[in-house]
Amino acid sequence: MDINFSKEDIAFRDEVRDWLANDYPKHVKEKTDSGITISKQDLVDFHKALSKKGWMGYNWPTEYGGTGWSASKLYIFNKELGLAGCPPILPFGVGMVGPVIYTFGNDEQKETFLPDILNFNTWWCQGYSEPGSGSDLASLKTKAVKRNDLDEEYYVVNGAKTWTTLAQNADWIFCLVRTDSSGIKQEGISFLLIDMKSPGIEVKPIITIDGDHEVNTVFFSDVKVPAKNLIGEEGKGWTYAKFLLAHERFGIAAVGSSMRELDRLKKIVNDIDNDDLRKKVGELEVSLSALEITELRLLSELENGGHPGAESSILKIKGTEMQQKISELFVEASGEYALMYPGPHGYGSNDKPAGPDYAANGLSAFLNLRKTSIYGGSNEIQKNILSKFVLGV
Amino acid sequence: MLREQIQKFCESEYDFYKREDIVKSSEDFDSNVWKLFAEQGWLSMAFSEDSGGLGFGAIELSILFEEFGKSLVIEPYLATVVLSGSLLDKSSYPHKNELIEQICIGDMHISFAYAEASNSYDYLSVNTSLDSKNVLNGTKTLVLNGGNANKIISTCTDGNELKIVIFDTNTNGVSINSFSTVDGQSCAEISFENVQLDDKNIIASGEEAIELVNKTINLATLCICAEAVGCMESCYTKTLEYTKGREQFGQPISSFQVLQHRMVDMFIESELAKSLLIKAMLEVNNNSEDMTKHVSALKSYIGKAGKISAQDAVQMHGGMGVSEEMMIGHYLKKMISIDALFGNSDFHLKNISN
Repeated sequence: MDINFSKEDIAFRDEVRDWLANDYPKHVKEKTDSGITISKQDLVDFHKALSKKGWMGYNWPTEYGGTGWSASKLYIFNKELGLAGCPPILPFGVGMVGPVIYTFGNDEQKETFLPDILNFNTWWCQGYSEPGSGSDLASLKTKAVKRNDLDEEYYVVNGAKTWTTLAQNADWIFCLVRTDSSGIKQEGISFLLIDMKSPGIEVKPIITIDGDHEVNTVFFSDVKVPAKNLIGEEGKGWTYAKFLLAHERFGIAAVGSSMRELDRLKKIVNDIDNDDLRKKVGELEVSLSALEITELRLLSELENGGHPGAESSILKIKGTEMQQKISELFVEASGEYALMYPGPHGYGSNDKPAGPDYAANGLSAFLNLRKTSIYGGSNEIQKNILSKFVLGV
Repeated sequence: MLREQIQKFCESEYDFYKREDIVKSSEDFDSNVWKLFAEQGWLSMAFSEDSGGLGFGAIELSILFEEFGKSLVIEPYLATVVLSGSLLDKSSYPHKNELIEQICIGDMHISFAYAEASNSYDYLSVNTSLDSKNVLNGTKTLVLNGGNANKIISTCTDGNELKIVIFDTNTNGVSINSFSTVDGQSCAEISFENVQLDDKNIIASGEEAIELVNKTINLATLCICAEAVGCMESCYTKTLEYTKGREQFGQPISSFQVLQHRMVDMFIESELAKSLLIKAMLEVNNNSEDMTKHVSALKSYIGKAGKISAQDAVQMHGGMGVSEEMMIGHYLKKMISIDALFGNSDFHLKNISN
């Protein structure tokens, strides 16, 4: 096992740092540095800048226009972006549906969708969870029925998808739909690409406890989807979904951004000179270091041809706990000012809170990050995976 | 008896949707609900009979706040009745009875300005100054319900000793900046610029002022801890109810042992917090010597256990837990605000060991 980086890796790290210093859009950096919420356009600009550098396909093989990076380069890339405070790369296109399309899609689908993902011309969202299907994803009920009219083959989709991140901005949604209810539930699922402009789609916002509109419920009523938008074979959607979930693990430990946040927290704790918090920050630093080295060990296994697989659940569990704990300490560091938070009418008669800047941002992050231990397979589900596939019980 | 009365009221007049309507409205609270509080006698129950109250004490207040916590009541009972009203009640201020009467009938809101930006929970270290000609200057922070108050009670110093003054919010030189709080209430930054007062504005000075601040904050701390205990009970009962109804993998998720144990933990913590509450409210009610220590023990405990309970409740509700439309996430926000007020868990832990 080798957890140290090669010379080549170090050179690559410097190249990423150079890009961050010179080509990471300044207006986005200014906002993320001062904790201001970024707009849709900022996110587009950030992704377009990555495209321009040729890094949008960070996790793709070169034959589809990706970087073909090794696992250690991927790791460095993700960590450096996190350390620089970049917004997370939207995973739905490049991280999720892209690999499904180039692995299981046909040539026409590859030509139609992949270039737009790499150039960030299409914004994708994910249609997995449903109001009645969360952790038990395979129980999903959104139905797609195949029709054939005047030689035109299409599906008619009815149902609802929920917790759909940024569906309000999306051009396309990839959906798990039920095409067969007769057999065992995993076998009747298909993977369908749906244009968000299709008649019959309605996006309803869900406001979360931090007051943000990030997630939505997407309703489908008699939505007509061309049959050519089916990925692979009918009934094989579950296999593709599992493949996709394995890809979702990339960067889930969020080591880089946690390091950055912990660093910011440390400065605040030193400023307010609070020994209780100093100790808690110290404990988190130790845990974060353990997490980072664990990620590197899994990486090194991967580089040497191993298949860590289920062990990556450790990264999901500990990475999300780390993010949540750091945000909790920001709230504690705010003392009494943790009380102030914008309500439905903002800060009452004010646009800015009183007290330190980090108070409202810290609380906003604390409330927002509750989701991380729930989504992407809740942390309880991750523990089931570990006990079943690693401990073998 | 009192508990049943409050429970009945909250069920019929204060369900979560009603609360949400109030939070979303342009008002900080519902003045009709406040009137109903007055009619039920809740605004007068905490005051001594000499001041025109019902003569109840810390025990009844704790019961009231426990039930308020379950329903997440946002009306400014803490600011007007507990902080301002009981301070007046315990004082020797000659004009207190007319003020308390106005509070009791629901016609007056008074806010207590005890905090300043630099004093971090040490409410006796005060920079706001009152000079020899009774001119007041300074800035107070996080004044609960300050934006809706008719009068302000403020701590200040004449350079030698602590003083407590009271005056109308529309007095020249008073400027009020109101903010929303994470638990759906409001607080204000208030600055005083050459506010001219006179002797009849002074409630107390020196030792009496110190004791009034300490006792008032202590009682208010007990009240919000009782509120937290109510939240903790609701967190586990609502999570139990939710997990029984939520089916995944063909069975209610309450059948999974990992969730059962977690809910048992929530139940145990709720019971332990309740025990500390009972002890603390009895000590405060008896005005015992080490009542502050018992309140600190309670506050430090619920600061940690309450937050964990509310976080677990959110987690077990899954996505629904982080949805603004569900009540459960609002308990977490309430627990954040309770931990932030009057000294957080770490602060009170030190109080006990000192």
